[in-house]
Amino acid sequence: MSDRVAVVGAGEVPLRPLSPRQSYREMGFEAATRAYDDAGVTHQDIDSFVSVCEDFHEGTSITDEYTPDQLGAVLRPVHTVAGDGLQGVAAAVMLIRTGIADLVAVEAHCKTSNILAHEQVLTMALDPSYERLPGITPHFVAGMEMRRYLHETGAPEDAVAMVVVKNRRHALSNPVAAYGEVLSPDDVLASAAVCAPLREREISPPADGAVVLVLASEEAARRTPKPVWIRGVGWASDSPWLAARSWGQASYASLATQMAYQMAGIAKPDQEIRFAEVDDTYAYKELQHLEAAQLIPRADAARIVLEGGTRRGGRLPVNSSGGSLGMGYCFDATALYRTAAAVRQIRGEAGRAQVERAATTGTQRGLNQIEDCEL
Amino acid sequence: MNLTHARVWRGTMPVQYLYTAGVAGERFFQTLRRRGVLAVTRCAECQVTYLPPRLYCERCFADLSQAWAEVAPGGRVHTYTVVCEDQDGHPLDPPQVVAFVRIDGTDGGLIGRLLRVRLQDVRVEMPVDAVLAPPRRRRGRMDDIVGFAPRRALPRRRTP
Repeated sequence: MSDRVAVVGAGEVPLRPLSPRQSYREMGFEAATRAYDDAGVTHQDIDSFVSVCEDFHEGTSITDEYTPDQLGAVLRPVHTVAGDGLQGVAAAVMLIRTGIADLVAVEAHCKTSNILAHEQVLTMALDPSYERLPGITPHFVAGMEMRRYLHETGAPEDAVAMVVVKNRRHALSNPVAAYGEVLSPDDVLASAAVCAPLREREISPPADGAVVLVLASEEAARRTPKPVWIRGVGWASDSPWLAARSWGQASYASLATQMAYQMAGIAKPDQEIRFAEVDDTYAYKELQHLEAAQLIPRADAARIVLEGGTRRGGRLPVNSSGGSLGMGYCFDATALYRTAAAVRQIRGEAGRAQVERAATTGTQRGLNQIEDCEL
Repeated sequence: MNLTHARVWRGTMPVQYLYTAGVAGERFFQTLRRRGVLAVTRCAECQVTYLPPRLYCERCFADLSQAWAEVAPGGRVHTYTVVCEDQDGHPLDPPQVVAFVRIDGTDGGLIGRLLRVRLQDVRVEMPVDAVLAPPRRRRGRMDDIVGFAPRRALPRRRTP
Protein backbone atom coordinates (compact mmCIF):
# COMPACT_ATOMS: atom_id res chain seq x y z
CA MET A 1 0.00 0.00 0.00
CA SER A 2 1.30 3.46 -0.92
CA ASP A 3 1.63 5.92 1.92
CA ARG A 4 1.33 8.98 -0.30
CA VAL A 5 -1.39 11.47 0.50
CA ALA A 6 -2.79 14.20 -1.74
CA VAL A 7 -5.09 17.17 -1.40
CA VAL A 8 -7.71 16.40 -4.03
CA GLY A 9 -10.28 19.07 -3.32
CA ALA A 10 -10.38 22.57 -1.87
CA GLY A 11 -13.38 24.76 -1.25
CA GLU A 12 -13.84 27.96 0.67
CA VAL A 13 -16.20 30.88 1.01
CA PRO A 14 -14.72 34.33 0.37
CA LEU A 15 -13.34 35.88 3.55
CA ARG A 16 -15.44 38.87 4.59
CA PRO A 17 -15.41 41.27 7.56
CA LEU A 18 -19.16 40.69 7.99
CA SER A 19 -21.52 37.98 6.81
CA PRO A 20 -24.79 38.82 8.50
CA ARG A 21 -27.03 36.65 6.37
CA GLN A 22 -25.25 33.33 6.58
CA SER A 23 -24.75 31.23 9.67
CA TYR A 24 -21.37 29.59 9.98
CA ARG A 25 -22.96 26.23 9.42
CA GLU A 26 -24.24 27.48 6.06
CA MET A 27 -20.77 28.82 5.29
CA GLY A 28 -19.37 25.38 6.09
CA PHE A 29 -21.95 23.76 3.83
CA GLU A 30 -20.97 26.08 0.97
CA ALA A 31 -17.26 25.35 1.45
CA ALA A 32 -17.90 21.59 1.66
CA THR A 33 -20.02 21.61 -1.48
CA ARG A 34 -17.25 23.37 -3.39
CA ALA A 35 -14.54 21.09 -2.06
CA TYR A 36 -16.42 17.87 -2.84
CA ASP A 37 -17.22 19.20 -6.30
CA ASP A 38 -13.57 20.17 -6.83
CA ALA A 39 -12.53 16.62 -5.93
CA GLY A 40 -15.28 15.03 -7.99
CA VAL A 41 -16.69 13.17 -4.98
CA THR A 42 -19.88 13.26 -2.92
CA HIS A 43 -20.20 13.45 0.86
CA GLN A 44 -21.03 9.75 0.81
CA ASP A 45 -17.61 8.95 -0.64
CA ILE A 46 -15.80 10.57 2.32
CA ASP A 47 -14.69 7.98 4.87
CA SER A 48 -13.91 10.26 7.80
CA PHE A 49 -14.30 13.92 8.75
CA VAL A 50 -12.17 16.28 10.85
CA SER A 51 -13.65 19.56 12.04
CA VAL A 52 -11.44 22.28 13.54
CA CYS A 53 -12.91 24.92 15.80
CA GLU A 54 -12.56 26.13 19.36
CA ASP A 55 -15.01 26.81 22.13
CA PHE A 56 -15.91 30.33 23.26
CA HIS A 57 -14.76 32.13 20.11
CA GLU A 58 -18.29 32.43 18.80
CA GLY A 59 -20.21 32.28 22.01
CA THR A 60 -20.69 28.54 21.92
CA SER A 61 -19.27 25.71 23.92
CA ILE A 62 -18.72 22.02 23.26
CA THR A 63 -17.92 22.72 19.61
CA ASP A 64 -18.65 19.21 18.42
CA GLU A 65 -22.33 19.91 19.15
CA TYR A 66 -22.18 22.34 16.21
CA THR A 67 -20.88 19.79 13.70
CA PRO A 68 -21.33 17.72 11.47
CA ASP A 69 -24.51 18.19 9.39
CA GLN A 70 -22.94 20.97 7.31
CA LEU A 71 -20.30 18.47 6.12
CA GLY A 72 -22.74 15.72 5.22
CA ALA A 73 -21.26 13.74 8.10
CA VAL A 74 -24.25 12.86 10.27
CA LEU A 75 -23.90 9.33 11.65
CA ARG A 76 -20.42 9.12 10.15
CA PRO A 77 -16.89 9.05 11.68
CA VAL A 78 -16.11 12.60 12.85
CA HIS A 79 -13.66 14.10 15.25
CA THR A 80 -13.07 17.68 16.24
CA VAL A 81 -9.71 19.34 16.79
CA ALA A 82 -9.43 22.39 19.04
CA GLY A 83 -6.27 23.74 17.46
CA ASP A 84 -4.87 25.02 14.21
CA GLY A 85 -6.45 23.95 10.93
CA LEU A 86 -3.15 22.40 9.90
CA GLN A 87 -3.41 20.04 12.85
CA GLY A 88 -6.63 18.88 11.21
CA VAL A 89 -4.67 18.26 8.01
CA ALA A 90 -2.06 16.31 9.98
CA ALA A 91 -4.84 14.23 11.56
CA ALA A 92 -6.23 13.48 8.09
CA VAL A 93 -2.79 12.45 6.82
CA MET A 94 -2.50 10.03 9.73
CA LEU A 95 -5.97 8.59 9.13
CA ILE A 96 -5.02 7.90 5.53
CA ARG A 97 -1.49 6.61 6.13
CA THR A 98 -2.70 4.22 8.80
CA GLY A 99 -5.21 2.80 6.33
CA ILE A 100 -8.26 3.82 8.34
CA ALA A 101 -9.62 6.02 5.57
CA ASP A 102 -9.08 6.68 1.87
CA LEU A 103 -10.88 10.00 1.66
CA VAL A 104 -10.94 12.49 4.55
CA ALA A 105 -12.59 15.93 4.67
CA VAL A 106 -10.96 18.56 6.89
CA GLU A 107 -13.09 21.55 7.80
CA ALA A 108 -12.36 24.74 9.72
CA HIS A 109 -14.44 27.84 10.16
CA CYS A 110 -14.69 30.96 12.21
CA LYS A 111 -17.33 33.63 12.07
CA THR A 112 -15.21 36.33 13.62
CA SER A 113 -17.92 38.97 13.30
CA ASN A 114 -19.89 37.01 15.88
CA ILE A 115 -17.09 37.60 18.40
CA LEU A 116 -18.01 40.83 20.10
CA ALA A 117 -15.25 40.70 22.73
CA HIS A 118 -12.29 39.07 21.04
CA GLU A 119 -9.75 40.54 23.44
CA GLN A 120 -11.62 39.04 26.38
CA VAL A 121 -11.42 35.58 24.82
CA LEU A 122 -7.72 36.08 24.05
CA THR A 123 -7.04 37.18 27.61
CA MET A 124 -8.51 33.95 28.91
CA ALA A 125 -5.80 32.11 26.98
CA LEU A 126 -3.22 33.55 29.40
CA ASP A 127 -2.48 31.85 32.71
CA PRO A 128 -4.65 33.63 35.28
CA SER A 129 -2.21 33.42 38.17
CA TYR A 130 0.96 34.71 36.49
CA GLU A 131 0.30 36.10 33.02
CA ARG A 132 -2.95 38.07 32.98
CA LEU A 133 -2.60 41.77 33.56
CA PRO A 134 -5.93 43.45 34.25
CA GLY A 135 -7.17 46.23 32.02
CA ILE A 136 -4.81 45.92 29.06
CA THR A 137 -5.16 44.41 25.61
CA PRO A 138 -3.80 40.86 25.32
CA HIS A 139 -1.86 41.97 22.21
CA PHE A 140 0.80 43.05 24.73
CA VAL A 141 2.33 39.60 24.33
CA ALA A 142 2.90 40.24 20.61
CA GLY A 143 4.23 43.73 21.33
CA MET A 144 6.88 42.26 23.63
CA GLU A 145 7.75 39.49 21.19
CA MET A 146 8.12 41.97 18.33
CA ARG A 147 10.42 44.19 20.42
CA ARG A 148 12.70 41.27 21.27
CA TYR A 149 12.74 40.03 17.67
CA LEU A 150 13.78 43.47 16.39
CA HIS A 151 16.37 43.74 19.18
CA GLU A 152 17.97 40.37 18.41
CA THR A 153 18.03 40.71 14.63
CA GLY A 154 18.49 44.44 14.20
CA ALA A 155 15.60 44.38 11.72
CA PRO A 156 14.19 47.87 11.13
CA GLU A 157 10.50 48.61 11.65
CA ASP A 158 10.38 49.52 7.94
CA ALA A 159 10.76 45.84 7.11
CA VAL A 160 7.78 44.94 9.27
CA ALA A 161 5.76 47.67 7.56
CA MET A 162 6.86 46.32 4.17
CA VAL A 163 5.38 42.91 5.03
CA VAL A 164 2.01 44.63 5.48
CA VAL A 165 2.38 46.61 2.24
CA LYS A 166 3.30 43.47 0.29
CA ASN A 167 0.59 41.22 1.69
CA ARG A 168 -2.18 43.80 1.33
CA ARG A 169 -1.13 44.33 -2.27
CA HIS A 170 -0.95 40.59 -2.96
CA ALA A 171 -4.50 40.31 -1.63
CA LEU A 172 -5.79 42.52 -4.44
CA SER A 173 -5.20 39.61 -6.83
CA ASN A 174 -6.93 37.05 -4.65
CA PRO A 175 -10.72 36.98 -5.06
CA VAL A 176 -11.32 35.41 -1.63
CA ALA A 177 -9.23 38.02 0.24
CA ALA A 178 -11.04 40.67 2.27
CA TYR A 179 -8.38 43.32 2.77
CA GLY A 180 -6.62 43.98 -0.52
CA GLU A 181 -5.30 47.54 -0.54
CA VAL A 182 -2.49 49.67 -1.90
CA LEU A 183 -0.59 51.09 1.05
CA SER A 184 2.77 52.76 1.47
CA PRO A 185 5.16 51.85 4.30
CA ASP A 186 4.43 55.28 5.73
CA ASP A 187 0.71 54.47 5.92
CA VAL A 188 1.59 51.46 8.05
CA LEU A 189 4.10 53.31 10.21
CA ALA A 190 1.59 56.12 10.75
CA SER A 191 -1.11 53.77 12.06
CA ALA A 192 -1.79 53.91 15.79
CA ALA A 193 0.48 52.06 18.21
CA VAL A 194 -1.44 49.26 19.90
CA CYS A 195 1.41 47.80 21.94
CA ALA A 196 4.49 49.65 20.70
CA PRO A 197 6.36 48.81 18.60
CA LEU A 198 3.33 46.86 17.29
CA ARG A 199 0.96 49.02 15.26
CA GLU A 200 -2.66 48.64 14.29
CA ARG A 201 -1.98 47.86 10.62
CA GLU A 202 0.58 45.22 11.61
CA ILE A 203 -2.16 43.10 13.19
CA SER A 204 -4.22 40.91 10.86
CA PRO A 205 -7.80 42.19 10.71
CA PRO A 206 -10.48 39.57 11.43
CA ALA A 207 -12.63 38.02 8.72
CA ASP A 208 -15.41 35.42 8.57
CA GLY A 209 -14.79 32.24 6.66
CA ALA A 210 -15.04 28.49 6.23
CA VAL A 211 -12.74 26.10 4.36
CA VAL A 212 -12.97 22.43 3.49
CA LEU A 213 -10.15 20.33 2.07
CA VAL A 214 -10.46 16.77 0.82
CA LEU A 215 -7.43 14.53 1.33
CA ALA A 216 -6.97 11.18 -0.34
CA SER A 217 -4.79 8.10 -0.37
CA GLU A 218 -2.80 7.56 -3.54
CA GLU A 219 -5.28 5.00 -4.79
CA ALA A 220 -8.24 7.31 -4.25
CA ALA A 221 -6.33 10.36 -5.50
CA ARG A 222 -5.69 8.64 -8.84
CA ARG A 223 -9.44 8.72 -9.45
CA THR A 224 -9.65 12.49 -8.90
CA PRO A 225 -8.86 15.15 -11.51
CA LYS A 226 -6.31 17.37 -9.78
CA PRO A 227 -4.33 15.79 -6.92
CA VAL A 228 -1.63 17.85 -5.19
CA TRP A 229 0.71 15.64 -3.20
CA ILE A 230 1.61 16.37 0.40
CA ARG A 231 5.31 15.67 0.69
CA GLY A 232 5.75 16.39 4.36
CA VAL A 233 3.93 17.53 7.44
CA GLY A 234 5.29 18.65 10.78
CA TRP A 235 4.02 20.31 13.87
CA ALA A 236 5.33 21.37 17.26
CA SER A 237 3.92 23.17 20.27
CA ASP A 238 6.05 25.57 22.26
CA SER A 239 5.94 25.70 26.06
CA PRO A 240 2.58 27.05 27.19
CA TRP A 241 4.41 29.28 29.69
CA LEU A 242 5.34 32.70 28.35
CA ALA A 243 8.34 32.71 30.71
CA ALA A 244 9.74 29.55 29.13
CA ARG A 245 9.43 30.53 25.46
CA SER A 246 11.97 32.26 23.30
CA TRP A 247 10.78 35.84 22.78
CA GLY A 248 12.99 36.48 19.76
CA GLN A 249 12.85 33.27 17.74
CA ALA A 250 10.03 31.01 16.58
CA SER A 251 11.53 27.77 17.94
CA TYR A 252 8.27 25.88 17.39
CA ALA A 253 8.33 26.74 13.67
CA SER A 254 11.96 25.59 13.31
CA LEU A 255 11.06 22.20 14.75
CA ALA A 256 7.83 21.88 12.75
CA THR A 257 9.51 22.69 9.45
CA GLN A 258 12.47 20.39 10.18
CA MET A 259 9.99 17.56 10.72
CA ALA A 260 8.20 18.35 7.45
CA TYR A 261 11.44 18.76 5.47
CA GLN A 262 12.76 15.46 6.75
CA MET A 263 9.61 13.65 5.68
CA ALA A 264 9.73 15.37 2.29
CA GLY A 265 13.46 14.77 1.78
CA ILE A 266 14.21 18.46 1.51
CA ALA A 267 17.83 19.19 2.40
CA LYS A 268 18.15 22.78 1.26
CA PRO A 269 14.81 24.49 1.80
CA ASP A 270 16.04 27.89 0.63
CA GLN A 271 16.92 26.40 -2.75
CA GLU A 272 14.19 23.80 -3.14
CA ILE A 273 11.07 25.65 -1.99
CA ARG A 274 9.48 27.66 -4.79
CA PHE A 275 7.00 29.71 -2.76
CA ALA A 276 5.79 29.85 0.80
CA GLU A 277 2.66 30.58 2.77
CA VAL A 278 3.70 31.36 6.34
CA ASP A 279 1.87 32.70 9.34
CA ASP A 280 1.65 36.50 9.46
CA THR A 281 -0.97 36.97 12.16
CA TYR A 282 1.24 39.84 13.25
CA ALA A 283 3.47 41.27 10.49
CA TYR A 284 6.78 40.61 12.29
CA LYS A 285 5.83 36.92 12.55
CA GLU A 286 6.32 36.54 8.80
CA LEU A 287 9.97 37.58 9.13
CA GLN A 288 10.45 35.41 12.21
CA HIS A 289 8.85 32.40 10.53
CA LEU A 290 10.85 32.74 7.30
CA GLU A 291 14.02 32.55 9.36
CA ALA A 292 12.73 29.67 11.47
CA ALA A 293 11.80 27.75 8.32
CA GLN A 294 15.35 28.23 7.00
CA LEU A 295 14.00 29.91 3.89
CA ILE A 296 16.12 32.96 4.62
CA PRO A 297 19.30 33.11 6.72
CA ARG A 298 18.68 34.33 10.24
CA ALA A 299 18.61 38.12 10.52
CA ASP A 300 18.45 38.48 6.73
CA ALA A 301 14.67 38.40 6.43
CA ALA A 302 14.33 42.16 6.84
CA ARG A 303 16.81 42.98 4.10
CA ILE A 304 15.30 40.51 1.64
CA VAL A 305 11.76 41.77 2.29
CA LEU A 306 12.87 45.39 1.84
CA GLU A 307 14.55 44.48 -1.45
CA GLY A 308 11.33 42.91 -2.74
CA GLY A 309 12.62 39.33 -2.69
CA THR A 310 9.39 38.01 -1.15
CA ARG A 311 7.00 39.72 -3.56
CA ARG A 312 5.04 37.65 -6.02
CA GLY A 313 7.66 38.23 -8.70
CA GLY A 314 10.61 37.93 -6.31
CA ARG A 315 13.12 35.16 -5.68
CA LEU A 316 10.92 33.56 -3.01
CA PRO A 317 7.29 34.67 -3.21
CA VAL A 318 5.85 34.66 0.32
CA ASN A 319 2.15 34.82 1.05
CA SER A 320 1.15 35.53 -2.51
CA SER A 321 -2.40 34.82 -1.29
CA GLY A 322 -2.21 38.01 0.74
CA GLY A 323 -1.56 36.16 3.98
CA SER A 324 -3.64 36.88 7.04
CA LEU A 325 -2.83 40.56 6.74
CA GLY A 326 -4.39 40.72 3.30
CA MET A 327 -6.96 37.90 3.35
CA GLY A 328 -8.12 38.49 6.91
CA TYR A 329 -7.53 36.50 10.05
CA CYS A 330 -9.98 33.66 10.49
CA PHE A 331 -8.57 32.01 13.62
CA ASP A 332 -8.09 28.28 13.19
CA ALA A 333 -9.35 28.35 9.60
CA THR A 334 -6.61 30.77 8.55
CA ALA A 335 -4.05 28.09 7.79
CA LEU A 336 -6.50 26.13 5.66
CA TYR A 337 -7.18 29.18 3.51
CA ARG A 338 -3.44 29.28 2.95
CA THR A 339 -3.32 25.55 2.17
CA ALA A 340 -6.13 26.01 -0.36
CA ALA A 341 -4.17 28.92 -1.89
CA ALA A 342 -1.02 26.76 -2.10
CA VAL A 343 -3.01 23.97 -3.78
CA ARG A 344 -4.23 26.42 -6.44
CA GLN A 345 -0.68 27.71 -6.95
CA ILE A 346 0.67 24.22 -7.55
CA ARG A 347 -2.19 23.43 -9.92
CA GLY A 348 -1.52 26.68 -11.78
CA GLU A 349 -5.04 27.88 -11.00
CA ALA A 350 -4.21 30.93 -8.92
CA GLY A 351 -5.17 33.39 -11.65
CA ARG A 352 -3.72 36.83 -11.10
CA ALA A 353 -2.13 35.60 -7.87
CA GLN A 354 -0.19 32.91 -9.73
CA VAL A 355 3.49 32.57 -8.85
CA GLU A 356 5.45 31.79 -11.99
CA ARG A 357 7.50 28.77 -11.14
CA ALA A 358 5.05 27.17 -8.74
CA ALA A 359 3.30 25.12 -11.37
CA THR A 360 6.21 24.11 -13.58
CA THR A 361 6.68 20.41 -13.99
CA GLY A 362 9.30 18.58 -11.98
CA THR A 363 9.66 19.41 -8.35
CA GLN A 364 6.51 21.10 -7.18
CA ARG A 365 7.23 22.20 -3.72
CA GLY A 366 5.27 24.75 -1.82
CA LEU A 367 5.57 25.27 1.84
CA ASN A 368 2.64 25.66 4.11
CA GLN A 369 4.00 26.06 7.53
CA ILE A 370 2.46 24.28 10.41
CA GLU A 371 2.98 25.70 13.80
CA ASP A 372 1.40 26.34 17.10
CA CYS A 373 1.29 29.92 18.13
CA GLU A 374 -1.68 30.85 20.23
CA LEU A 375 -1.20 34.58 20.35
CA MET B 1 -21.93 46.76 12.83
CA ASN B 2 -24.95 46.62 10.56
CA LEU B 3 -26.85 43.55 11.59
CA THR B 4 -30.26 45.14 11.34
CA HIS B 5 -31.26 43.03 8.36
CA ALA B 6 -30.27 39.75 9.88
CA ARG B 7 -31.75 37.73 12.68
CA VAL B 8 -29.12 37.48 15.36
CA TRP B 9 -29.17 36.31 18.94
CA ARG B 10 -27.18 38.55 21.25
CA GLY B 11 -25.69 36.88 24.26
CA THR B 12 -23.18 37.10 27.03
CA MET B 13 -21.33 34.15 28.47
CA PRO B 14 -21.75 34.33 32.24
CA VAL B 15 -19.19 31.65 32.89
CA GLN B 16 -17.90 31.42 36.43
CA TYR B 17 -14.91 29.33 37.30
CA LEU B 18 -12.04 28.70 39.66
CA TYR B 19 -8.40 28.30 38.74
CA THR B 20 -6.23 26.45 41.21
CA ALA B 21 -2.74 27.85 41.66
CA GLY B 22 -1.61 24.34 42.55
CA VAL B 23 1.11 23.09 44.86
CA ALA B 24 3.85 25.08 43.11
CA GLY B 25 1.77 28.22 42.74
CA GLU B 26 0.65 28.11 46.36
CA ARG B 27 4.23 27.97 47.57
CA PHE B 28 5.30 30.75 45.20
CA PHE B 29 2.55 33.15 46.23
CA GLN B 30 2.79 32.40 49.97
CA THR B 31 6.57 32.92 49.85
CA LEU B 32 6.07 36.19 48.00
CA ARG B 33 3.44 37.36 50.48
CA ARG B 34 5.32 36.41 53.63
CA ARG B 35 8.92 37.13 52.74
CA GLY B 36 9.02 39.12 49.52
CA VAL B 37 11.25 36.68 47.66
CA LEU B 38 10.60 34.37 44.73
CA ALA B 39 10.30 30.62 45.18
CA VAL B 40 11.68 28.70 42.19
CA THR B 41 12.31 25.08 41.30
CA ARG B 42 15.54 23.77 39.81
CA CYS B 43 16.19 20.78 37.63
CA ALA B 44 19.76 19.73 38.46
CA GLU B 45 19.86 17.37 35.49
CA CYS B 46 18.94 20.00 32.88
CA GLN B 47 20.37 22.93 34.83
CA VAL B 48 17.16 24.85 34.37
CA THR B 49 15.62 27.05 37.05
CA TYR B 50 11.89 27.45 36.63
CA LEU B 51 10.14 30.71 37.34
CA PRO B 52 7.14 30.51 37.58
CA PRO B 53 8.05 27.37 39.54
CA ARG B 54 6.82 24.04 38.31
CA LEU B 55 6.61 20.68 40.01
CA TYR B 56 8.07 18.98 36.96
CA CYS B 57 10.81 19.69 34.44
CA GLU B 58 9.35 20.31 30.99
CA ARG B 59 12.54 18.97 29.38
CA CYS B 60 13.45 15.73 31.20
CA PHE B 61 10.08 15.36 32.98
CA ALA B 62 11.74 14.96 36.40
CA ASP B 63 9.74 15.50 39.58
CA LEU B 64 10.90 18.82 41.05
CA SER B 65 8.69 18.83 44.14
CA GLN B 66 11.77 18.59 46.39
CA ALA B 67 13.96 20.94 44.34
CA TRP B 68 12.99 24.35 45.70
CA ALA B 69 15.19 27.42 45.99
CA GLU B 70 14.64 31.14 46.47
CA VAL B 71 15.86 34.14 44.49
CA ALA B 72 15.67 37.90 44.97
CA PRO B 73 12.99 39.66 42.90
CA GLY B 74 15.34 41.46 40.53
CA GLY B 75 16.55 40.94 36.99
CA ARG B 76 16.77 42.47 33.55
CA VAL B 77 14.18 43.74 31.10
CA HIS B 78 14.27 41.01 28.47
CA THR B 79 11.69 42.78 26.35
CA TYR B 80 8.95 45.37 26.83
CA THR B 81 6.03 47.02 25.11
CA VAL B 82 4.14 50.26 25.47
CA VAL B 83 0.51 49.27 25.84
CA CYS B 84 -1.82 51.88 24.36
CA GLU B 85 -5.15 50.03 24.46
CA ASP B 86 -7.27 48.55 27.19
CA GLN B 87 -8.98 45.18 27.03
CA ASP B 88 -11.86 46.55 24.96
CA GLY B 89 -9.62 48.29 22.44
CA HIS B 90 -10.14 51.76 23.94
CA PRO B 91 -7.13 54.07 24.33
CA LEU B 92 -5.18 53.78 27.58
CA ASP B 93 -4.23 57.16 28.95
CA PRO B 94 -1.46 57.24 29.86
CA PRO B 95 -0.01 54.20 28.08
CA GLN B 96 1.55 51.55 30.31
CA VAL B 97 4.98 50.01 29.88
CA VAL B 98 4.81 46.25 30.37
CA ALA B 99 7.94 44.13 30.46
CA PHE B 100 9.03 40.55 30.67
CA VAL B 101 11.75 40.59 33.31
CA ARG B 102 14.29 37.78 33.20
CA ILE B 103 14.86 37.21 36.93
CA ASP B 104 18.52 36.81 37.96
CA GLY B 105 19.49 33.25 38.80
CA THR B 106 16.61 31.75 36.80
CA ASP B 107 15.81 30.71 33.25
CA GLY B 108 12.34 32.19 33.53
CA GLY B 109 10.90 35.49 34.56
CA LEU B 110 7.83 37.51 35.33
CA ILE B 111 5.60 39.92 33.45
CA GLY B 112 4.94 43.26 35.11
CA ARG B 113 4.59 46.98 34.67
CA LEU B 114 7.66 49.21 34.59
CA LEU B 115 7.49 51.99 37.16
CA ARG B 116 9.51 55.10 38.01
CA VAL B 117 11.08 55.39 34.60
CA ARG B 118 10.55 57.69 31.64
CA LEU B 119 9.60 55.89 28.46
CA GLN B 120 12.63 57.16 26.56
CA ASP B 121 14.93 55.71 29.23
CA VAL B 122 13.63 52.14 29.01
CA ARG B 123 16.15 49.73 27.46
CA VAL B 124 16.25 46.04 26.74
CA GLU B 125 18.59 44.36 29.31
CA MET B 126 18.09 47.23 31.77
CA PRO B 127 18.49 46.00 35.39
CA VAL B 128 15.31 46.30 37.44
CA ASP B 129 14.04 45.29 40.87
CA ALA B 130 10.53 44.38 41.89
CA VAL B 131 8.53 47.00 43.76
CA LEU B 132 6.55 45.06 46.33
CA ALA B 133 3.37 46.05 48.07
CA PRO B 134 3.87 46.68 51.80
CA PRO B 135 3.80 43.33 53.69
CA ARG B 136 0.39 43.95 55.27
CA ARG B 137 -1.23 44.66 51.96
CA ARG B 138 0.08 41.58 50.21
CA ARG B 139 -2.54 38.99 49.40
CA GLY B 140 -0.47 36.21 47.86
CA ARG B 141 -1.20 37.24 44.29
CA MET B 142 0.77 38.48 41.33
CA ASP B 143 -0.15 42.08 42.14
CA ASP B 144 1.87 41.81 45.37
CA ILE B 145 4.52 42.84 42.87
CA VAL B 146 3.30 46.32 41.97
CA GLY B 147 5.82 46.47 39.13
CA PHE B 148 9.50 46.71 38.38
CA ALA B 149 11.67 49.83 38.66
CA PRO B 150 15.20 50.60 37.48
CA ARG B 151 17.65 49.30 40.07
CA ARG B 152 19.20 52.67 40.87
CA ALA B 153 15.83 54.37 41.32
CA LEU B 154 14.72 52.18 44.21
CA PRO B 155 14.67 53.74 47.67
CA ARG B 156 17.55 52.50 49.84
CA ARG B 157 15.40 50.80 52.44
CA ARG B 158 13.86 47.93 50.55
CA THR B 159 10.78 46.16 51.71
CA PRO B 160 11.91 43.11 53.65
